[in-house]
Amino acid sequence: MQWAISVDHKKLALMYIGAGLCFFLVAGLEAAFMRLQLARAENDVIDPETFNQLFTMHGTTMVFLVGMPILLGFGNYLIPLMVGARDMAFPRLNAFGFWLFIFGGLLLYFSYLGADGLYGAGTAPDVGWFAYAPLTSRTFSRGNSTDYWILGIMVSGFGSMTTAINFIATILCMRCPGMTLMRMPMIGWMMLVVAFLVLVAIPILTGAQIMLLLDRTLGAHFFDPETQGSAILWQHLFWFFGHPEVYILILPAFGFVSEIMPTFSRKVLFGYPLMVAATVGIGFISLGVWAHHMFVVGLGPVLDSFFGATTFLISVPTGIKIFNWLGTMWGGRLHFTTPMLFVTGFVAMFVIGGLTGIMLATVPLTWQLSDSYFVVGHFHYVLFGGTVFGIFGAIFYWFPKATGRLLDERLGKWTFWLLFIGFTLTFMPMHVSGALGMPRRIYTYEADRGWEIWNLISSIGVPVQMAGVAIFLWNAIRALRRGPVAGDDPWDAWTLEWGTTSPPPEWNFDRIPTCTSARPLWDRKNPEDPDAYYE
Amino acid sequence: MTERAEQREERAALAPREAREMPYLRAIPRPTPWPIITAFGVTFMFAAIVTNIFVVVVGAVFALVGVIGWFREVFPHENVEAIPVADCEIPLPPPEFAPRPKKTPRNVVPERIHPYRSGVKGAIAGAIAMAVVAAAWGVIDAGSLWLPINLLAGTVLPSIGEATEAQLKTFNATWFATSVGLHAFLSISVGMVFVVSLPMMPRRPLLAGGLIAPVIWTGIAWATLRVVNPTLEDYISWPWFLGSQVAFGLACGFVISRATMVPLQVGWSLERRMGVERTEGDES
Repeated sequence: MQWAISVDHKKLALMYIGAGLCFFLVAGLEAAFMRLQLARAENDVIDPETFNQLFTMHGTTMVFLVGMPILLGFGNYLIPLMVGARDMAFPRLNAFGFWLFIFGGLLLYFSYLGADGLYGAGTAPDVGWFAYAPLTSRTFSRGNSTDYWILGIMVSGFGSMTTAINFIATILCMRCPGMTLMRMPMIGWMMLVVAFLVLVAIPILTGAQIMLLLDRTLGAHFFDPETQGSAILWQHLFWFFGHPEVYILILPAFGFVSEIMPTFSRKVLFGYPLMVAATVGIGFISLGVWAHHMFVVGLGPVLDSFFGATTFLISVPTGIKIFNWLGTMWGGRLHFTTPMLFVTGFVAMFVIGGLTGIMLATVPLTWQLSDSYFVVGHFHYVLFGGTVFGIFGAIFYWFPKATGRLLDERLGKWTFWLLFIGFTLTFMPMHVSGALGMPRRIYTYEADRGWEIWNLISSIGVPVQMAGVAIFLWNAIRALRRGPVAGDDPWDAWTLEWGTTSPPPEWNFDRIPTCTSARPLWDRKNPEDPDAYYE
Repeated sequence: MTERAEQREERAALAPREAREMPYLRAIPRPTPWPIITAFGVTFMFAAIVTNIFVVVVGAVFALVGVIGWFREVFPHENVEAIPVADCEIPLPPPEFAPRPKKTPRNVVPERIHPYRSGVKGAIAGAIAMAVVAAAWGVIDAGSLWLPINLLAGTVLPSIGEATEAQLKTFNATWFATSVGLHAFLSISVGMVFVVSLPMMPRRPLLAGGLIAPVIWTGIAWATLRVVNPTLEDYISWPWFLGSQVAFGLACGFVISRATMVPLQVGWSLERRMGVERTEGDES
């Protein structure tokens, strides 16, 4: 009960992360069933209707109920501690946002029981996580499962917006004495840009969902082409939200890498000012790339060229980050602990995902590969190889701070390698099957297409990943029960959260710290050679 | 009495007299159920669309009660919990640093860089060297000075793909202007890359910039030219192409490497960067 009524940012953050991990397990199971079905040609483990529900719920869950809450949870936990504040700017609003996310997620999953399906049974949404019109119209989506999708996402979206407001207010108004914006930990910048993106992108989605709801319940015709509506309008609105959403999901992971990598390279982050500029640049450019998801719609050469060019352009600040991380590692004393393994894996996987993204920014190539498994492989390299690896790195890094206990390093390395190998087995072959012409979202395929071996390899990767996740869960439970005591600063790190106890008290710091450089704890530990002299 | 309040009293009782009299200076928000109740109500109000109209009534009641409770939580006075920490309003003072050494024990890499203007000069030199090699190929091997110029314009003018060989070998003002502009833009861009990257090249920067980079670039061009400029792909001579890239790299790198290096200005004030204010550490 204490947790249910808590307004402490740390408890709310842990609940965000815990709930996100629970949804992660659910979404993982959904994916596992899909891979089981696709392991063999002409398989019949799952019927087509269920398959549609599975990919819809998997995508929706991973984006809205796993990625966002876990990343916002980390923001919740870390921002006040890193900027030297006692709590978020609006603690009660913070709790309100968390509970909206939870209730929104539960409403979405209640569709399995409550939505109108055949013979009165429940049925989950089956229109894809993008819910393209006119598939979502009453004509093609009977019952109210699509309405559950709309409402569940909308309610949790309100929660995300309140959290974004909290992030902005906390970062801009509650930094401790001496912490200028250019001394703020990189996560602070990432979360600030993410919060602005949330406030720009989510209301667009909410507005579009309300229009869709009006179409479905009150007979409006916003997205109905038969009555002068526009199905393309939905795509514009959805992807105006959808592409910034990709950066909402990846920027916090960039922040994790930017904190973890310097600690285990024993060097300062290379090119901090340029990293800040690149982050802000990504935030701006990400608002102008959405129609690269719509090259096959037929927008015309001018728009196609424009959105292709902006997509190429966004690779510049992203590339700056990659080089800066390599520059951070270059010449450092590298310690490949589990968090470092995960963020190094992140960089490698994200580069592959980024490069295939640049390939897909080329309009003629997208005409060939759109809606194929190549695209599925690409975005999983970005969002699983990127975001999820970043999340695991962050969990291993900050677990000692949050719990006061250390996770087991050996089990951690098992988790990393199983996830890394399983991930590669699953998603690398998708590029091949996609290039061979396999469309995404199909529930089965014929045996003579040359896709069998690639699908089989993809499916084999799933149990390997599941083993990695199972070891991680065992590791976490074991550490909570009898893990070695972590101490306040087990990694000899330099940001303020490591300057308080593990776990921190409700008020975070007995006395608010004073920041003298971008590495305030370095300055405290090394008063003979502080960074303050060089900034 | 809550568990926390009991603990607080216990602590207060155990503390010495002075500590007991010390006021609790800082307060944190007290746990409250109103946000969860409000969120529950809001969700139910929306859920009514897919369930039953009476659900909206239940949701509205919860939301209203939650909002009122929340309002009373913060007005007229915020409901807070005192925390038993002395001096918590006074920020922790910064650490006492040792006197700053006259010479820094740290290396800032690179300590000295080539001035950006040398990148532009190098780019001009490289552009001329490359143009000479390309023109030589046109005259000696392809039979026209204008062919390499027109082919370069094909990178941004797709219509050149439909031109005949005779047209490609004659002067065209539009293609010429396009080609010169593109050549200048690309040369200056590469010159700027050279100027920032040369100091970071290990040991023999001219070798890396003048030979290795052109070879890598030629490899990339070989792999992608079919997509970028198919007309050029049809006519290109790869040995001459590589020669022109090497000519650019050597000329550009030579000019840049001869320029006097300047100290890195990271950490300088704006006045000092502009040369308005000269300080002791200023070497220029």
